[in-house]
Amino acid sequence: MPNTGLHTDIISFRNVGLRYGRGPEILSDINLTLPQGSFSFLTGPSGAGKSTLLKLCYLSLIPSRGLIRMFGKDSALLTNAERQAIKRRIGVVLQDFHLIEHLSVYENVALPLRVAGQSRATYHTDLVELLDWVGLGHRLDAYPPTLSGGEKQRCAIARAVIAKPDLLIADEPTGNVDPEIGRRLLRLFSEMNRMGTTILIATHDTHLIDELDAWVLRIENGQIFTGKAI
Amino acid sequence: MGSAYREWADIYGQSHMSARSVHPPQEAALLPHKLRNVRALWVVLSIMALLACCALLFARGSLRLSEDWQSQLSDTLTVQVLLEDIQDWEPQTSLARETLGEVFPGADIDVLPQAQARELLQPWLGNTSLPDSLAVPGLITLTGPDLNQATAQKALEAAGLRVNIDDNTRYADELGRTARRFVSIGYVTLLLMLIAGLSVNIFATRAGLIAQKDIIRVLVQVGASDKFIARLFIRQALRRGLIGAAMGVCIAFLLWLGLSLLGGWGELVWTTLSAGLVDTLWLVGLGCVFALICAAAAGVTTIRQLAFERRRL
Repeated sequence: MPNTGLHTDIISFRNVGLRYGRGPEILSDINLTLPQGSFSFLTGPSGAGKSTLLKLCYLSLIPSRGLIRMFGKDSALLTNAERQAIKRRIGVVLQDFHLIEHLSVYENVALPLRVAGQSRATYHTDLVELLDWVGLGHRLDAYPPTLSGGEKQRCAIARAVIAKPDLLIADEPTGNVDPEIGRRLLRLFSEMNRMGTTILIATHDTHLIDELDAWVLRIENGQIFTGKAI
Repeated sequence: MGSAYREWADIYGQSHMSARSVHPPQEAALLPHKLRNVRALWVVLSIMALLACCALLFARGSLRLSEDWQSQLSDTLTVQVLLEDIQDWEPQTSLARETLGEVFPGADIDVLPQAQARELLQPWLGNTSLPDSLAVPGLITLTGPDLNQATAQKALEAAGLRVNIDDNTRYADELGRTARRFVSIGYVTLLLMLIAGLSVNIFATRAGLIAQKDIIRVLVQVGASDKFIARLFIRQALRRGLIGAAMGVCIAFLLWLGLSLLGGWGELVWTTLSAGLVDTLWLVGLGCVFALICAAAAGVTTIRQLAFERRRL
């Protein structure tokens, strides 16, 4: 995405390449900028490297070469404390949800707030409201193994947004939900974006992309192409 | 945040947005309590704690017994009155008794009867009956505080007596050296048990980190620091250590109590070796130290393992 210079960049990639071990480069010379408050879709064929690119964005992987700046800081120079502090500013929704099975829906969603050291009394009302809003108000005490795919998805999304992250990264967030819930979630993301959260969503769903006037990052053969949704 | 959701509720027409007036639920433990094989680990830790407790009680008991024996020996002098003729037995032992009585007025002085002195000599000279004319030395035992071998020797020689005096120093020193060896063995065993406990906990924590890697991955993803994650494992290990130590300490206490009640070592031995109040406090302290070692091992291992995993990225 072209840098307008009007906003601080949340993420900036310069000539980033990534390979696993001694294998071929999965991502090559990626140049990418996500300005603060932007809304972007990441799309491309299966196996093109969307999830890998997202992992680089939420600091789960370290690039083999190139420079990544997160919130204005060089990711290679971050101390562990700074890295974790940045992670607390990022909400992540993954395809396989990553819910903790022995924790209830309530506890799973509260996790980022507990990690940030907030007391239960300060977030209880907000949390229950959010769970109501995503349609899990009646499943507060349920455990992930008893949830449907869609419920798990909504639980993961609620966990990603509960701490009001500066950056929300979602990998196929509407893959397991019905169209109506999908639209509601997209509106949630759109609303969060309106309030200042930078959004990056990886999806195959062209209908979803068509719903919003957002930047589209298309990844193909390890290269990235930028454009506006048609 | 709440206002944001209320705003969204207005936009999307959600009517059920108000939070229910329920109390926040109790915070659940982030690491599961019921881990597979945790009971086996408790058994291992309790056996280690038991052995550590036994080593401690053995060391303390040995030290106490040796001190008790040494104290008794240090309050005793044995005087041999050497005779030329058996006819001198009565006058010379009486003279020695009187002299010693004057020098050590507070001491108990026992003169062994001549017949018993002969009996004592019998094993040293074989089974043959001793001739009546044999000048058996007179044996006098002094018991009391502040006895001094040199003073006794001087006073008895001044009275014209030929004597050998044993203040039991050699025997007491030998006893002290033996006791110190036993105490050392006890403390080394205790140290080894604590090191073994530390190693078991390092291994258990590493296994726990692997078994709970999915949970840790989520925690890392939501921004948990290494210290936050380490605290979870410290709490888990502390609980595990306390349970193991409590079991070990209880078994050790019961074992020691049982041995004490059974006796069989003679009153002197069992009263000094048996667990008293101070020993019980030592056992409780050892249990706490054992649990703290478990917790410290878990904390350090978690921090190191997380740093190692980060370097592997």
